[in-house]
Formats: sequence, structure tokens, C-alpha cells
Amino acid sequence: MEHGIKIINAQLGYGSQHDPVVVLNGLYINIRPGQLTAIAGMNGTGKSTLLKSIAGLLPPLSGELYVNGIPVSDTKKRELAKEVAVVLTDKIGGFNLTCFDAVAAGQMPYTNAFHQIKEENLKIINEAIATCKLETHRHKALHELSDGLFQKTMIARALAQQTPLMLLDEPTAFLDYASRHELFILLKNLAEQQNKCILVSTHDLDLVLKYCDTIVVVHNGQAEFLQTDEALKNDAFRAIGGKHL
Amino acid sequence: MRKNTLVKLLILAVCTCVAILLSLFYGGSECIGNGSEASAYILYEIRLPKTLTAIVAGSALALAGLVLQTIFRNPLAGPYVLGISSGASVMVALALLAGTGLSFFAGRAFIVVAAVSGSLIVTALILAISRKVSNNVILLLIGLMIAQICGAVELALEYFADPGRLKTFVLWGMGSLSSTNNADLFVFVPVVVLSAAALLFYIKPLNAMLLGEDYARSAGIHYSSSRFGLILFSSLITGVTTAFCGPLAFIGTAVPILSRLIFKTSRQQVHVLGCMLIGSTLLLFADFASHSMIKNMVLPVNMITTLIGAPIVIYLMFKNKYW
Repeated sequence: MEHGIKIINAQLGYGSQHDPVVVLNGLYINIRPGQLTAIAGMNGTGKSTLLKSIAGLLPPLSGELYVNGIPVSDTKKRELAKEVAVVLTDKIGGFNLTCFDAVAAGQMPYTNAFHQIKEENLKIINEAIATCKLETHRHKALHELSDGLFQKTMIARALAQQTPLMLLDEPTAFLDYASRHELFILLKNLAEQQNKCILVSTHDLDLVLKYCDTIVVVHNGQAEFLQTDEALKNDAFRAIGGKHL
Repeated sequence: MRKNTLVKLLILAVCTCVAILLSLFYGGSECIGNGSEASAYILYEIRLPKTLTAIVAGSALALAGLVLQTIFRNPLAGPYVLGISSGASVMVALALLAGTGLSFFAGRAFIVVAAVSGSLIVTALILAISRKVSNNVILLLIGLMIAQICGAVELALEYFADPGRLKTFVLWGMGSLSSTNNADLFVFVPVVVLSAAALLFYIKPLNAMLLGEDYARSAGIHYSSSRFGLILFSSLITGVTTAFCGPLAFIGTAVPILSRLIFKTSRQQVHVLGCMLIGSTLLLFADFASHSMIKNMVLPVNMITTLIGAPIVIYLMFKNKYW
């Protein structure tokens, strides 16, 4: 089985079959596990579309998408949930949801019909909370958490989902400078130590150069796959803001 | 389930029992319990159906409210606020008030069918709009507007109706737990009990929906089919309850909020039990109050539920807590 993410000649976008809105075209991407990969691009160029398509939340208009060798479109939701976890930009909270509840939701693909948390589930949830250093906040309401702690909670939720792939949509938005670095360090460690394939969309190009192994540059409806050390010489990367670095 | 939660559920169950005893043995007639034939008749033919109706209706509306608040992730949602009760009302108005052609069918069964179809139509409409409008506040406002439109159609029907039928409809619209007989309960109770049992299959999707559509789907939940099933469930039980008891206000909105305030948990299985207990207790007390506030007079139960429910909702909005 081929690990990581593989995209073959995909056309991504949204809308109905009769009236599709094409965002990205002719996509070929191959990302190996154990790597932290950035998706960089200007606002509205299709970073979220790419992430949601890989996560199976948005069907591709055409082409093939594989995660860990299984086709995204033809796989049962519950099986896919054991392969890919996401951290989205949605702000959630209220309804008495606590940090623990959100992390525990990561175990949903593995719990019974009542989402009953058993001993083995609790162990994994606690590990995820410990990895993201959230022990002192576990019983706090989600809406009481700072932006940084909220993002860490959602990352812990993705960790609790025990997937080889993790996709994060702009997790550093609204974070202070120190928290941005801490978050990237956390992601880098997760990719290296747990051999995860982590894909993170971001506007922080300096952090991308410092922490990421590879970059998918989304520009003009195309996506280009680069090694980080060749980024500064790449036209697309320079065009999305890399020339100012 | 945590010990704390169990204790709270137990206390609520005791409250429900007290309310049931009050509803069965107090209020109105003093001859209950003297062993006479009149006493037995009042108990079995009047009080018992009324008490059962209150329990079933209170549970049904509270569950419908819980489900809608979770789907829309908005604590102000509910069958009454979203216009689902109004949809049921307007169809009942058509059944009861429209020309002689329809009156032939205007039996109880027809009212039930009318109310359920009315609530289904409005829910389908809201669901269709929710695909275009992602903002839940706008969606709630649209629900309110649909309720207003239904109200206007109802007014028009009332204006042209003959006085006899008008009175039947107006009394129905005030909400009453006393108009169900034992035969009605053979329909009402099984429909609500079976629907509530079906809800058990949706506990996990309900828990996942608190995180929003994308997170729920990424956790392996079949979001669209779950949402469809849950919406169908809430319109069915709202429609049936409205058919038998009239459009009861605020139970559906206020009870799930109260349940979240009491249990302080996000676990939906706890709230399913909590809402059933709080909903039935609240409606039993509201009915008791409607019978005993003024001697020899029965006030409309809708008046009482609104007087209890509306201040709760206003208070909570001012408190601006994330319930």
C-alpha cells in the first residue's frame, strides 16, 4: 500500500455537476508520510478547497485522490475517518462543550453508537491532551479558551482520531508570534516522531521555510510541489509573497 | 454516566412524580379519592388521559427542540420559533375552517394528518433554505417570518370562517391538554414513544453535530442522512403533538436550554432523558397552574407556558452565556 497523499490529474472545486466552479486544475501531488508539508497561496486561491477535497469533505470534479493508497471518493466515511483527521477554521463552542469533549470527539470513529468513552478510548484521549499540553485546561469550556489553546484542542482532537494523515487549515491565524512557532514545532515533532503525513495551509511563509519539509504552492489555479530549500528560487513561491523574505 | 448526573436525573424524576400526583389528584373537583363512581370516572376518563397527554406532549416538544437546537447549533431554535408549529397550525386551520367540502373529513385523524403535513412542509422549506443560507441567525429569522406568514393565512381563514368552527379552532389554538381522550392516546403515545426510541439511533450523530457539519463528517458521521432523519423525527412529533394539544409555546425552546443549564454537559444522551423529564414536569405544572390559578376557571395552557418560557429565554439572552 502506498502511504501518504497521492493526487492524479485532479480538477478541484465546488458547485453542481452542471455548473461547476473550478478552483484548481491539473493537479499532481505526491506527499510521503513523516513530512510536514505547507500549502501556501494567496487568499481565495484554493488552499481550503485542496484540503477539504483530500479530506473527502468536497468531492473532486475529476481525477483521482488517494490517502494511504485508498481512494477518497469510494471509501466509507467511517473508514476514511480512520485515515484522515482535519483541523478547520470553524470556531466551535457553546452547548457545554469542553476541551475534553472536543478531543474525545476524535475517538468517534472507534466508539459505539452512544459514543461511550471506554477505558481504551480514554487512554488515547488523555495521551492526545498530554501531547498538546492541555492537562490543566481539559475541563474548561471551549469558548473560554484563548485562540492558541483552542487550536491546540482541535489538534489534540485530530490526534485522538489516530490517523496517519492530518490536514490543518490556517491553524496559525489569530495566534500571537510565539504561539505560531510553538504550533509549528508541535506539528513538526508529530510528523517526525509519529511518522504522520501533515499538511498545513498557512500565510506564514517565514515559518514555512523554517519548519516545513515540502511546500505546495497554490497559484493561478495550479499547484506546484516544491522542496523547501528550492522555494526561494521558485517563481510561484516568490509571486505569493516569497520575494519579500 | 457520572454519579452527579444520575442524582440530578433522580431528583427530576421525583419532581415528575410529584407533578403527576398533583395532576391526577388535585385541582378542579374535590371528589377524587372518595370511592364514588364519579370519582373513578374523573380519574380514569379525564385526569389520567390529561396527565398522560402532558407527559407525552412535554417530552415530545422538548425532544424536538433539543434535536433542532443541536442541528442548527443555536439555542434559540425550536419547533415554535422555527415556524414548524405554525405550519401545523395553518394546516389544521385549513382542515377546521375551510369550506364545507373539507369539513366532512374534519375528524381527529384528519387533523393529525393535516398537522403533521403542515409541520413537514415548513421543515422541508427551512431545510431547503438552510442549504442556501449558512448563517443560523438569518435562518432563525426566516423561520420567524414563515411563522408570521402562517399566522396571516390563519387570520384570513379565521376572518371568513363561520362562528361555530371559529370557536373550535380558537380554543384549539390556545393549547389544551384536556381535549385528548383515551382513544386518541392509543395513537399519540405510540407515535411519540416509537419516535423517541428511534432517536436513540441518532445519539452519536447528535453528539457529532455539536462540532458542526464538516467536523461531524470528518469523524465518519453520515451527516446528510442523519440530519434528514432527525428533522423528520422532530416534525413528526411536533405535528402529532400540535394536532392533539394545539400549538404549545416555548416548551420546545426553553426545556433544552434548562436541561443544559442543569446538567452542564454536552452529552446528548443525558439531555434526551433530561428533556423528557423537564418537559413533562413543566407541562404538568403549567396545566396544574392553568386549572388552579383562578377558582372554577381553566386558563389557556399556552398562556402559562409562554409566561414561564419567554422570561427564561429573555433572561438567558441577557446573560449571554454559551448554553
